[in-house]
This record gives sequence, structure tokens and C-alpha cells, in this order.
Amino acid sequence: MPSYFESRRGRRRETVIAALFLVVALVLFLMPEQYQQPIRRAIRTTVLSPFIGFQSALAQQDTRMVDVGALRAERDSLSAVLAAQAPIVEENRRLRGLLGLRQRAEPGFVPAQLVRVGVTGGESTFLLNVGRRDGVAPGSPVVGAGGLLGVVREVEEGTALGVDWTHVDFRASAMTADGSAYGIIEPRPGRFREEDLLTLTGAPFHSDIPPGSRIVTSGRGGVYPRGIPIGVVLGIDEADTGWRKNYVLRPLVRPESVSHVLVGRAGEEGASDASTLWYGSAPPDTGPDAGPVREAAEQQGGDR
Amino acid sequence: MEGRWPFALFVLLLIALHFLLRIGLGLEGTAPDLLTVALLLTARRVPAGWAAGVGLLMGLLRDSVNLTSFGADAVVMTVLGFLGARSRDYFVGESVLFLLVYLLLGKWLHDIAFHLISGGMATGEPFSSVALGSAIAAVYAAVAGVVALSIYRALARE
Repeated sequence: MPSYFESRRGRRRETVIAALFLVVALVLFLMPEQYQQPIRRAIRTTVLSPFIGFQSALAQQDTRMVDVGALRAERDSLSAVLAAQAPIVEENRRLRGLLGLRQRAEPGFVPAQLVRVGVTGGESTFLLNVGRRDGVAPGSPVVGAGGLLGVVREVEEGTALGVDWTHVDFRASAMTADGSAYGIIEPRPGRFREEDLLTLTGAPFHSDIPPGSRIVTSGRGGVYPRGIPIGVVLGIDEADTGWRKNYVLRPLVRPESVSHVLVGRAGEEGASDASTLWYGSAPPDTGPDAGPVREAAEQQGGDR
Repeated sequence: MEGRWPFALFVLLLIALHFLLRIGLGLEGTAPDLLTVALLLTARRVPAGWAAGVGLLMGLLRDSVNLTSFGADAVVMTVLGFLGARSRDYFVGESVLFLLVYLLLGKWLHDIAFHLISGGMATGEPFSSVALGSAIAAVYAAVAGVVALSIYRALARE
């Protein structure tokens, strides 16, 4: 059973020891990010690695246990759709080959499973079952079926740690799909996490982005490939000092609903423009690759 | 003295179960916060300085998967371990009702202190919603802690 009472000297000694531990904790809390990162990684790759490994194994098992009947029904439906759309597929393949889009889109991303870390304060953090050996690096974009979900922050050999767009430090350079206005995407916390939205800040005051407009990554800054859908404009948020406008966006990907994602690979040429993953062609803007796209489209128009 | 090693094993099991449920099985907040429960139970049995040290280590474990405020949980858990050990000076006893209240208040204090020390940079949630949400989580953790300790006592014949 516990010892309930200590001598006065013993109490003082214990208080001093506790104070020393508190100082160590405060030093760890206040030290710069670059010193915190190796400590965090060391703990994760040693003490917590069995749990992270178990999570990866379980996620793979889940994927294998998908109902075979449902898969067969899906395959049959897809076969019917493909048979009906064979001419379109063939034309699409030819056009993609013509424009060189296939090389741009395909090698840039790797599929991954996502699991939330489930700790207090880590609500915006997630674990991925891909890592350095898959070509993932810090800064790699993480996208869901609807569009941009977040970004990878730390990478190990077979796992990675990232944050989604609800994280307070999340930023992305963005533009309207037609390239008429540019700005920076920031999270806009709601009263509850389900109410979290996004804000497009710093849009030019003269630009008027109507509700319903689609906002995509602009590719500026080199963090996110150009053309990844982010959200849809709900309305104007506020005018900033009379020179800029902020718009509220409805995100196209809700973090709580995502379990499978695509993660951008570092150094892949195809990762610079991801618009072909969501559109038949790149959004018509002033990007560096717009010239050949426009010429090909004109040539295609001329052929008809 | 004779109950030291079985109790240490029990605490290690609680810690392993916490990460197995929350990370391994991906249950997140659906699983009770057994890490804080483990610290609070340990703090009732070890000297205050050691309780603070255990809190520091447990806090670092949790901080290692937190990209927002590394060290914040280590600070909170260190203080919580110390306070838990010092609570022996004011509250003597190990009854189920006492443990329930002790664990509930300890977990609630942990969540609120964490929210304050991380300055809302972790979640951005308003304080009222944190206080309410953590109260529910505290009840959940307290019940889970009392059940776990009852099982331990039955097995260890304490």
C-alpha cells in the first residue's frame, strides 16, 4: 500500500526533484522546432513504433477484407460503363498522349492509408503508411478524392506524419479555377470542429469572386502542385484595409471522413501540375504549361 | 513494497492499452484517456518527485505524435503527477467513490491546463467547448480507471 506521509525534509527533496523535471519539460516545450523534431522522431520510431506498425498492418488488413460481393458488383458496373464509353476513352487516351498529360499526372502521387493519432491537441495531425522509401518527403501534398487535404510534415522510412487544413499553421497558395484571382488559403475555425471552414485571404479588391466558384492550388511557392481543388466560395468574409478581400470557402475534403489518400512524391516532374487528376484538362489560366495546352486545343478545334 | 512490481506492470499495461486503442486501432477519442489515468494512479503511490518524472515521460510519449505543441503535455503531466502525489497529504483513502472523483478532477484539470498552455494553437476551439468536452471525457476516463483498478485489485488481491 502507498506511503501517505513523508518527513519535512523528504517533502522538500521531492519538491526540488519535481521542480527539476518541470524545468526539463519547460525547456522541451520552449525549444525551437528543429530541436524538437529529432526527439519526437526518436520516441516515435522506438517506443511507439509497435503501435504505429500495428495500425499500418490493421489498415492493410481492412483493405483486404472489403466484401468480395460488393467488389464484384462494382467491377460489373465499371465494365458496363467502360464498354459504353470506349470511344471516349480511346479519344481521351489519344489526346492525353498528344498533350503529354499522362506523364504529368501519373507518377506524381502514391496511394496511402490515413489514421488519426487521437491525442489531445493532435486533432489536426494524421499518420500515413507511406514514407521515404515511397518517395514521400516533408512538404508532400496529401489529397483526397475531392481535393487537397493537407501536407506531410515529418517522414520516416515507412511512415509519415502530416497535418490537415484545419491546422492553425496550414497555408496554401490558391487561385480561382479560371486564374482570375490569387490569394492564400488559411483555416477558419468554427465553434466546433465540424464547422471549420477555409478562408481565401488577400484576393485583389477589384476582383469579384461569385459564390460557387471553385478554388484550386496555384502552384506558387512550389509546395503544392497547381490545380488541386481546395474549396468552393460561399461568400465574402471581410474587406481587409480596403485593398484586399477575404472569401469564406466550403472545403471539398472533410478531414474526418478521409481514410485513403494520395500523397505527392518529391522530385517527380508530374507532381508540378495535378489539375489533370480532377479535370479533363488543366484549368485555363496563365500557368507556364498553358501554351501547349491552348495550341493543342486550337488544333483540335481546327480539325473539326 | 510487495505490491510495487505488479502495480508497475499494471501501469505499463494501461499505457500500452492507451496507445494500442488510440493509435494501433485508430479509435482516437472513442477510447478513454488511459495515459492520464495511469499517471494519476501512479501519483497516489510514489513520491512527488518521481510522480513528476513519470508525468514528464508519459507527456513526452503523447507529445511525440503531436506536431502542434510539442512539450505542452509533458509540462502538464509533470505538474499533474506532482499534484496527484501531493493530494495524499489532504485526501487519505482509496475508496471507489474517492478514486472516481480524483480521476475525474485530475483528467479535467489536465485537459483544461493543456488547452491553456497550448494557447488554443492546438485546436483553436473556444474554452467553453473544451471545458464541456473535457468534462465528458473526464467522466469516461474516471469510470474506465476505476474499472481497471478494480480488476487489478481483484487479481493482485490488494
